[in-house]
Amino acid sequence: MSWQIVRALIAKDFKLYFRNRFIALITVLGLVAYIAIYFVMPQTVDETLELAVYAPVLPPILEQAGSQGLELVLMESEEQLKEAVVGGEYLAGVVVPPDFMDKLMSGEKGQLDVYFGADTPEELQDSITVLLEELAYLQTGQMLSVRVSPEVLGRDMVGIQIPMRDRLLPMLAVIILMMEMLGLASLISSEVVGRTVQALLITPMTIRGLFAAKLIMGVSLAFVQVMLFMAVTGGLSQQPLIIILALLLGAIMVTGIGFLVASGSKEMTTVIAWGMPAMIILSVPAFGVLAPGTVSDWVKAVPSYYLVDAVYQAANFNAGWSDIWDNLLILLGFDIFLVWLGITVLGRKFR
Amino acid sequence: MSVRRVAILLGKDFKYGSRGFVFIMAIVAPLLISLVLNLVFGTFFSQTAKLGINDQGDSRLVDLVSASDSVQTRTYASTDDLKRAVEAGAVDMGVALPENFDEDVLSGNSIVLPAYVWGESLAKNRGILLATVNSAVRQLAGQEVPVHIETTTLGDAQSVPWSDRLLPLVLLYAVTIGGIMVPASLMVDEKQKRTLAALAITPATLGDILAAKGLMGVIMALVMSIVIMLLNQAFGVQPGLLMIVLGLGAVLAALFGLVLGLLVKDINTLFATIKAVGLLLYAPVIVYMFPGIPQWIGKIFPTYYIVQPVVEISQQGGAWPEVIFEVSILAGLIVLMFVLVTMATRRLKQQ
Repeated sequence: MSWQIVRALIAKDFKLYFRNRFIALITVLGLVAYIAIYFVMPQTVDETLELAVYAPVLPPILEQAGSQGLELVLMESEEQLKEAVVGGEYLAGVVVPPDFMDKLMSGEKGQLDVYFGADTPEELQDSITVLLEELAYLQTGQMLSVRVSPEVLGRDMVGIQIPMRDRLLPMLAVIILMMEMLGLASLISSEVVGRTVQALLITPMTIRGLFAAKLIMGVSLAFVQVMLFMAVTGGLSQQPLIIILALLLGAIMVTGIGFLVASGSKEMTTVIAWGMPAMIILSVPAFGVLAPGTVSDWVKAVPSYYLVDAVYQAANFNAGWSDIWDNLLILLGFDIFLVWLGITVLGRKFR
Repeated sequence: MSVRRVAILLGKDFKYGSRGFVFIMAIVAPLLISLVLNLVFGTFFSQTAKLGINDQGDSRLVDLVSASDSVQTRTYASTDDLKRAVEAGAVDMGVALPENFDEDVLSGNSIVLPAYVWGESLAKNRGILLATVNSAVRQLAGQEVPVHIETTTLGDAQSVPWSDRLLPLVLLYAVTIGGIMVPASLMVDEKQKRTLAALAITPATLGDILAAKGLMGVIMALVMSIVIMLLNQAFGVQPGLLMIVLGLGAVLAALFGLVLGLLVKDINTLFATIKAVGLLLYAPVIVYMFPGIPQWIGKIFPTYYIVQPVVEISQQGGAWPEVIFEVSILAGLIVLMFVLVTMATRRLKQQ
């Protein structure tokens, strides 16, 4: 295998890819769009229920509301409270009458007027009602014989929750990688159909050299784009080396899958027909990060799980080598298998 | 233009075009996406706190908590299953109810109830779940609520559940694939296979060919959007008006598909174009999904004038006066797109 020939072939592939100015433009635009999606997503997590309170006499128990996940903001009048709720500043407003405490202390039933915004979801309205009732129980000193003893499983993230956009990061990275897989598969299939591959193979270019060139081209295209995305979105601010290695392994993985897709395709439409199911399957682990608990253990059979998990853990939890070496090792195993399988299947088509 | 020739060409497109990948995708993909989104995303971004219960006896607490709208309840067969679910984030908190729990509560025996809390659970969800469990235990113990809570909803806006927010996305996808991709790919296919040049020497005019392809797009987009609306039970109380809006949306999409089909040379460029303009097509839907984004942004994009009247009619019970402005702009866009089709046709004739 001559590296000079391989280099020439890579240069030719890149030229072909970017000679089409339109393709070059949309590659850049696509990347910009993913970055834009990231920055449009919420960057903070709303951990508490913000309520407006108007209370001429503030019940002492309300000072402990923070421990119930409530954040109370005192209003100067009932009108101000209603305006704030209608304006969407608060989910609800609670009006505590001046005689509220007197009634509770005398054993009478107190009354609270609660105003909800029309866009406050029903389940939250119920939740707020339940929380206020519980506070009233506590205020009257009605204790329970049952004591709930909470034990936090996993790292306690209260106060340091991960925003939706950072949960989305691994998913966008996988999508960027997969899109380049489609690009590579399309390029290879067009060469197969156009018989330029067969033409190349009667030159000093060996089949090994041909695959080396395609592998380098595919990995470079996917890796550079996903690295740019991660760099711009700040995804490399924690454990950059681990993330870079994981993304490199991810780029190799999608290149192997790209070979497989190309082997079953004749043109762009069949590339998409084969590529879309692959994309959907590889995206499933990322959905598991977005909505924890929605996917079961079988997701570990999907190669991208180890990429998504490594990137998510490193970027959001500062996980080190000792935490995710096994992910990287399994991903490397999948890479070797997929690239070998892709080369074997596609190689048969070349011959 | 001959109606008979258009009908023959349309019949030919249905007969041969329906075997194509894009045609199949136009039918299958919206149905699959609708199904998946309803199954997965319907509860994907739900903010309702989730409680897991392992009931080792036959406690009434399970029914009491399940009846509450403030939490989603799931039951688990063993404590180990419960802990695994909490660790995976499937539920925010899990409680294991011991045998004879109800009897112990009624007799006032002191009980420590083990509760497992997911580390990433939000503070407000923890508070809501704890209050809900306590509230159910108090009901079980027969404690009387010391407060009467009077609730009032302020303002006109209504909260939109995720299942409703996602409907425009699926609808627009059906319109895009059926209305834009089908006629565009049929035109490009005719150009690539040089059958367009062959047709030019028959009595069929370019107008006949375009009318047939355009009709195909209108039929596909209209049928699929009606199917999507039926599947989502979103036809509303003005089905006639909704059909008119869907019809106009289908016409706009089909005209855009013809413009693409006339200007684009090959199927690869067509897919690349759709990839590039995808964000523009779907932007109003993204804006609609996230009410936090200023809603005026959606009005910049043409597809807003398809989506908004449909949402108004199907989800908010809107009638003609509420949608006349958007429908008028939609009609204007159709005229504009028709002009573009005419210009693109002239350009093709000159070539």
